[in-house]
Amino acid sequence: MNRRHFLQLSVAAVSAIGVGGCSGTAPLRTGIHPWIGYEPLYLAEEFGWLSNSVHLLKGAAASDSMSGLLSGELDAAALTLDEALRVFSQGIPLRIVAVTNVSVGADMLVVKPSITSLGSLSGRAIGVELGGVSGVLLFAVLERAGLNTDQVSVIDLPVHRHPEAWQNGIIDASICYEPTATALMKAGGTRLFDSSQIPETIFDTLVVTEQAARRQPEAVRDLVYGHFRGLRHLVRSMHDAVYRVATRQGITPDAVHQSLATIMLPELSANQRYLAYHGRIEVVARRLTDVLIREGLMETRPVYDRLADPSFLPRSMS
Amino acid sequence: MSRRLVGCCLTVLLWSVAGGWQPRVQAQQDVTLGIFAYRPEPVIQERYAQLADYLSRESGLTVRLQVLNQDAMNRALSANQIDFFLTNPSHFLVIRSDRSLTGVLATVQREWQGQSTGSIGGVILVRAARDDIDGLSDIRGKSIATPGMFFLGGYQSPALELKDAGVDILRYNRMVHLGNHDRVIRAVQAGDVDVGFVRTGVFEELVLDNPALMTELKIINRQRLSGFPFVVSTRLYPEWPLVSLPHVESRVVRRIASALFALEPDHPAAIAASISGFSPPADYQSVEQLARTLRMSPYDQVPRVTWLDVLSQYRVWVITVVVLFVLLVISSFWLGRKKRQLAIEERRLRELIASWPQPMLMIRQGAFVDCNRAAVVLLGYNSEASLLGKGLPAFSPDKQPDGMLSLQKADASMRQVAAGQVVQSEWVFERSDGSEIWVDITLAPVYEQGQDAPSVLCSWYDITRRKHAEERQRLALRVFENAREAIFITDAHGVVVDINDAYSEITGREHKVAVGSLPPLPLDEGSAILIAARKHGVWSGEFASRHRKGHPTILSLTLSSVFDDHDELSHFVGVFTDITQLKETEKQLRTMAHYDALTGLPNRVLFSDRLQQSMAQARRQGYQLAVIYIDLDHFKPVNDAFGHDAGDGLLIELARRMRATLREEDTLARLGGDEFAAIIVNVSDGHTLNALLSRLLTTVSAAAWVAGHSVEVSASLGYTLYPQDCELDGDQLLRQADQAMYRAKRDGKNRYCKFSDSST
Repeated sequence: MNRRHFLQLSVAAVSAIGVGGCSGTAPLRTGIHPWIGYEPLYLAEEFGWLSNSVHLLKGAAASDSMSGLLSGELDAAALTLDEALRVFSQGIPLRIVAVTNVSVGADMLVVKPSITSLGSLSGRAIGVELGGVSGVLLFAVLERAGLNTDQVSVIDLPVHRHPEAWQNGIIDASICYEPTATALMKAGGTRLFDSSQIPETIFDTLVVTEQAARRQPEAVRDLVYGHFRGLRHLVRSMHDAVYRVATRQGITPDAVHQSLATIMLPELSANQRYLAYHGRIEVVARRLTDVLIREGLMETRPVYDRLADPSFLPRSMS
Repeated sequence: MSRRLVGCCLTVLLWSVAGGWQPRVQAQQDVTLGIFAYRPEPVIQERYAQLADYLSRESGLTVRLQVLNQDAMNRALSANQIDFFLTNPSHFLVIRSDRSLTGVLATVQREWQGQSTGSIGGVILVRAARDDIDGLSDIRGKSIATPGMFFLGGYQSPALELKDAGVDILRYNRMVHLGNHDRVIRAVQAGDVDVGFVRTGVFEELVLDNPALMTELKIINRQRLSGFPFVVSTRLYPEWPLVSLPHVESRVVRRIASALFALEPDHPAAIAASISGFSPPADYQSVEQLARTLRMSPYDQVPRVTWLDVLSQYRVWVITVVVLFVLLVISSFWLGRKKRQLAIEERRLRELIASWPQPMLMIRQGAFVDCNRAAVVLLGYNSEASLLGKGLPAFSPDKQPDGMLSLQKADASMRQVAAGQVVQSEWVFERSDGSEIWVDITLAPVYEQGQDAPSVLCSWYDITRRKHAEERQRLALRVFENAREAIFITDAHGVVVDINDAYSEITGREHKVAVGSLPPLPLDEGSAILIAARKHGVWSGEFASRHRKGHPTILSLTLSSVFDDHDELSHFVGVFTDITQLKETEKQLRTMAHYDALTGLPNRVLFSDRLQQSMAQARRQGYQLAVIYIDLDHFKPVNDAFGHDAGDGLLIELARRMRATLREEDTLARLGGDEFAAIIVNVSDGHTLNALLSRLLTTVSAAAWVAGHSVEVSASLGYTLYPQDCELDGDQLLRQADQAMYRAKRDGKNRYCKFSDSST
């Protein structure tokens, strides 16, 4: 080895150590699970629009992301607003950095044909994943029906197990979303209520831990940018995106079209509006917190100055 | 075409004849549907013939099918020979940019083996045997066959995927445009090219005719998309649009559109065309974006970037740069001005220092590096060059007045300055003419950037005059202090403010007692002396004073008045000496000159003097005086027998007796030896005189006790009177008395005899 070569190696080694010491080796660990609203992130990953600073960890359900955040294995996750609040109330301060989608019918109440009105839910068994967004819809349904939780039999059950319980007659009604909803409706269920009747209430969001927001702001920005980049492909190149979503979710392109019809995908400007100080997100978050505490689904009220943080939104998508 | 023209003419004719009457049943109209031949024209003709028939039937119009390649279609469009056309999205974008179109009427839904899709993509084919081409990046440098540039699946979408994979096909690959997809596949199959681009669906259609293709060719970058009926290598875009041209009546457009949307998948026309029908127009934004990304027509023009675009795009940067530039300009101006000001300031400062009347110099490493004119002048040189480069000792005598060597003293001072102190001392220079000059030298450190040791600022202050003045003052003080004469200084009122030691000695007054009191002055004249001194500037005189211890003294005082700058009297200065001793001596001398030392009687000199006075008085007052000459008889034997002391004692005794005999106003003098003379004033008559003379004789002849012996002597007296007839002087008068005395001697001694002329 001549001297010059040795020097080059030394420089390389030192710079490698320097980079290793920084945030270079710690990507933003982001929990995600299959949901049409989170598809932009999957698309971004597929097309390579997601920076190396973001690492997607794919779970089966929201509960994976929540436990991941609580255990500290995740720095960020795609969660509904109420899920985020629950994680927050269990001691992990979070910030909502983007709204991925707003449910306009994606979450629904599917009932057996014998139930024809919300009022007739009284005394029936309702399958619901209380730990998830479905709880929010359940309380909205009960409120609309003028019932309280004592008047119905609430069966806390993960959504993917609803079809089985339905077949076995354990539940008469299910609060669910696609693709479970389609399965139940094929099994004779009818849709009695959905989230389009409570507009701008069920939000899916990208959340990051307070710690990550402070320590890896660039990675958080990359994550949010990836979402919007994927979103643009989903919207503009829908002819391509539907096949990719269908392939991933194992459903037909038509079903993807139908799913997309049940959500709104807010663009940048809408996100700015939602995430504004005392904007819709924070208003809804307060209301949700009240409901969740009242129903005993949450023990402590999260304490925060700002829950929604629009500062990580890209300035423009050129 | 001619039929259509006829139809149009007819319509116009009918319109004009009927005056606006609208015919309910219009003549059969021809509509031309142009279809782009993406595959060989017969194939397309065969597939779409039934669709044309279907549309004719459903719309009630005669729909003529025209299968055209892209060039032909472009020509037909520019000649307005086509009413509707169906082509690929990329080609559509080019046409749309050439002419303003009403837009897309519908998007084709393609059908393949029971699956329908509205999406189209590209397929990248190579021969299966080509092991060297497995991924997109392997395509770099290979020859590529495409149907043409304006094919979405056959060119643009594969090009984008390759571009994303880092392969710019226009730069790295040889492109062959073959006009349609079949030729592309044949070229790949034949090995004429390495790679072929075709649209989705074509491969499957050809495989139907030639199943061997399935094994002969392989698909690069194959996408796994469930629900999509074709193999695909790229992302997907909306399928072909069916477009109506602007000149077509809207009624016709409506009819055609309704027929299109009414087409069911199971209709023979749909099956023949391998489509499942038409859907509402898709969003072709993604295709536009694709063309834009590839810089393809109609987006091949590099957008003209205006300043406003740049401004809006890089507003922050532009503003920042402008602000920085403005700041730069302003600061340059500012700096320039400051620099000028600084230069002026520096020049002024330099000028100031150069012409400063006090000498200033700069010393670096012991040598002068800069100096002003005053410094040059002070040392008596003509130019600065005489000073620069030399040190302090070069212009100094070897030794300074304080005893130190100049060299050592300079070194010591420099060390102190280097330690940061400001040094001040007195220094003597030797000027060029050899004269010495005293200066008060100040050395101060000056810390300059880039210099380790401080430079030394050196300033001189000429104190030669002060030094001389000090010398004089010191001398004056010494004089004042050490003078044997008493010196005092008073204020304008004569009150003493300072005295010297001699003052205390002469007056016996201590300094603290004397100061604040009046000096010794003649008691009776006092303030008059001050007035005289003020008036004449000086007064001098002698007067009696008294020592503090009580004994009298005589002082000789000279009092001078001192005037201030405004000619106002400010002080008196007095100098006096004690002349008591002198006066005493003088008195003694005077006594010695006029009196006889033995008897204490006036001597001959004083006798003459008194005689003159008495004679004058006698003349004035008109009385007579007598001059008596007395000579002792037989005195010598006494002297010889008993010694001179006895003789002297006898003389003293006889003088006392005679003196006692005479009146107070009369004078008795010893003229020498045993000769005496007397002046008797106011002689009233001869009788009284004779009585006196007799008494004298008696007095003298009485025995005297001298030296233990009783001695007896007698006297012979001669006298004369004055005034006489002729004027006489004192000597003549005494001579007369002397002559008379001789006569008495002759006559027998111990008697008196009057002078008479005859007797002479």
